Amino acid sequence: MSEFLTLVVPMWVVFTLAAQGTILSGRTGVFNVTQEGVMALGASVGFVVAYKMGSNLGGLLIAFAVGALVGLILTVMTTQLRLDQFVVGLALFFAATGAAGLLYREVIGVTMTPPKIDTLTKHEIPLLSDIPVIGEPLFRQDYVFFFVVLLSVGLYWFMQRTGAGLNFRSVGENPKAADSLGINVNLARTWSTIVGSGLVAVAGAYFPLHFTGIYTDGMIAGRGWLVIALAFLGGWRPLYVVAGAAFFAGMDVLGQKAQVIGLGVPHQFIEMLPYVATLLVMVFAFRWARQPAHLGSNYDRESRLAG
Amino acid sequence: MTTAPRLEMTEVVKTFGPVRALDAVSLQVGAREVHGLLGGNGAGKTTLMNVLFGLYRADSGAVRIDGREVTITSPRDAIELGVGMVHQTFLQVDTYTVVENVVLGTTLEGGSHGAGLSAARARIADISERFGLHVDPDAVMEELPVGIRQRVEIIKALYRGASVLILDEPTTNLTPQEVDALFTSLRTMVAEGMSVILITHKIRETLAVCDKMTVMRDGARVQTLDRAETDADHLAAIMVGESHGTYQAPTVTEAVALGTAPQGTVVGDVPETTFEPGVSVRGMTVRNDHDVELISGFDLEVGKGEIVGFAGVAGNGQVELAEALAGVRPLQSGSITIDDLVLSDRATAQWLDAGVAYVPEDRHRDGILPTSGITENLLLGSHRSARVRKNGLIDWRAARQRAQEAIEKFAIRADSPATRAGDLSGGNIQRVILARAFAHRPRLLVLHNPTRGLDIGSTRFVYEQIREVTAAGCSVVVISEDLDEVIAIADRVIALYQGSHAGEWRSDRVDPYEIGRRMTGLGTSVGGAA
Repeated sequence: MSEFLTLVVPMWVVFTLAAQGTILSGRTGVFNVTQEGVMALGASVGFVVAYKMGSNLGGLLIAFAVGALVGLILTVMTTQLRLDQFVVGLALFFAATGAAGLLYREVIGVTMTPPKIDTLTKHEIPLLSDIPVIGEPLFRQDYVFFFVVLLSVGLYWFMQRTGAGLNFRSVGENPKAADSLGINVNLARTWSTIVGSGLVAVAGAYFPLHFTGIYTDGMIAGRGWLVIALAFLGGWRPLYVVAGAAFFAGMDVLGQKAQVIGLGVPHQFIEMLPYVATLLVMVFAFRWARQPAHLGSNYDRESRLAG
Repeated sequence: MTTAPRLEMTEVVKTFGPVRALDAVSLQVGAREVHGLLGGNGAGKTTLMNVLFGLYRADSGAVRIDGREVTITSPRDAIELGVGMVHQTFLQVDTYTVVENVVLGTTLEGGSHGAGLSAARARIADISERFGLHVDPDAVMEELPVGIRQRVEIIKALYRGASVLILDEPTTNLTPQEVDALFTSLRTMVAEGMSVILITHKIRETLAVCDKMTVMRDGARVQTLDRAETDADHLAAIMVGESHGTYQAPTVTEAVALGTAPQGTVVGDVPETTFEPGVSVRGMTVRNDHDVELISGFDLEVGKGEIVGFAGVAGNGQVELAEALAGVRPLQSGSITIDDLVLSDRATAQWLDAGVAYVPEDRHRDGILPTSGITENLLLGSHRSARVRKNGLIDWRAARQRAQEAIEKFAIRADSPATRAGDLSGGNIQRVILARAFAHRPRLLVLHNPTRGLDIGSTRFVYEQIREVTAAGCSVVVISEDLDEVIAIADRVIALYQGSHAGEWRSDRVDPYEIGRRMTGLGTSVGGAA
């Protein structure tokens, strides 16, 4: 059990980080669908920087900056130029995916054995890490894990408990109302998307920096898309996302496990299971989960169209 | 020179593409003054106020507050300068509570939970008390009726220290009692030194509450008048713009509807007309969107050529009734028949073929395709008709031709049949919807708030069109929150309260205040003339 948890927790970090980044912009009405691409780009950038600079923290920070840049492009396109969020998001997904592979090949080249970096070191919290079963997986982790825990609590506090959070959320619920009360809709959308997209990229960088030590194309393997489902499942709320991410991470690890053990079924079938489970959960979850009322719709102050 | 007026707008110009929405409009409003802004659709009243509130940027012109020239580029600027606005469609976050909506956009000391909000709660209570605007601060917005939601909008503006309050058509959804209460609140505000600008097209209300009034037409200011120096006929004439000799006084019923005659005016003892049976509703049961049975065992007869009007406060089953009668919402039980043809449980296409036409309440959401042109919007529902078909495909040339005719006949203010419906003003959208409904040659016409937000000319036009179809034997159901309208247009008035009949009158023998009591669930009161 403890061993299983030890595998689940890092995957929980990935899902939580990317999903918090997604709901951050979603709460102001920006529906980000670039995760799969931005995570791949984050993985590539994070690896290359860590490899060349020899600093894992540097890799994470530069990955954040590059993700933020993609977020900036997304908001300029959707708030200033008012292009369709979904179309722009898909275009950026493709661009980021391509850029990820290109960057790696330009800097590292094609090699027989891929270069490897040291993964992040784990830090132990004294006493707590001695608790049976949960001590090891929860309290002997790298700093990204602890950052994600603080981030989740901080986001919850900001969104649900502060006046600024009340203003922030209103932008996604009714931008026209927010605007009429002097809240800067475009500014809120721009910042939330820049920071949110940066977090998504860091989630991607976690793959080479925590799991593998190497970068390979396609290593995100569809998890970026699952993040979008997770945002819906978590009702765009920071704490529900934490719980949802645990479920997604559990399914993910189960799929990998089943492959290794060999159950006499094709491994493609096993790999499919997390997605099927997600689908089933979504069918039921959608009944209570509610998203920001203006998620995905651009705001034009002088438009006479309803909204 | 005496002191400068509280607010002064000079030569404000605003264009939307080729349309000149404001043509060098000037406006002066003093302190302690309720200033009426009158005019028809597209007159530019709301546009002018949106400029003042920073929602639109004027192309040119100046705004002065207390004699000082100011630049307002966003609502934030307006709020800081003490300008507050209550929009026609409320700008509220439905999922937030009243307090949360009120404090939204202000800086809160101590967070949005518990302690942080208690100071706000106290201030809201104080405002409620001073101006008679009572609300429950912890109610969730989406559960509140329209009248209360409007109070929240006013409180929002006052909470921010507004000294100039703009109200855009505030009485549209209110009962006569609520209108009286609102006007009392407004008088209290100006007595305390505020200025109020009231956008309206109802002359009676203007005369009841305003000190001064400015009449606008076609994006220009026509005249500014003192309450003392004008009367209803005079104002109506200026508004309609037929003052140079051709203006004809409206009939008594119209005058009541338009608010130029006092309520309760006796229309005259017309002998009771009997109608041939037309539409028959038996034991109709309908659920709302939350699966709650809102209308149960509802019976209704509408004769050929008869107009039945439903009066009621929004949220008492109007939407469900209208949609059920129009075939848009399924019946749980019961039946609807037109000339012995049972329509319940049939597909919508068959309702259309049977001649059922529907003018929905929410024009933007249910009535039009906002990003499609007028041509496409007029084609909806009649796309199978032979008139617009050629070789099995849509004959766009004929469709455009029809649209052009409708634009002329219904006086729709649009550049061409290709103009996107969503770019039209509210009144013009309604004209498109009516043009479409009337083109069906209906046998049953269901109208929900058909003249909401329309000017005198358009309103009269709609009434004429309705009378025209009734003359051809069409049964008409008008569901409206405008009591005067129901009384004016209907042969029979039914008060609707919580989804059922709360009283029925012949329209020429009603006391609006009595209906007002019935539709708010108060039942009969003896000698209760207010």
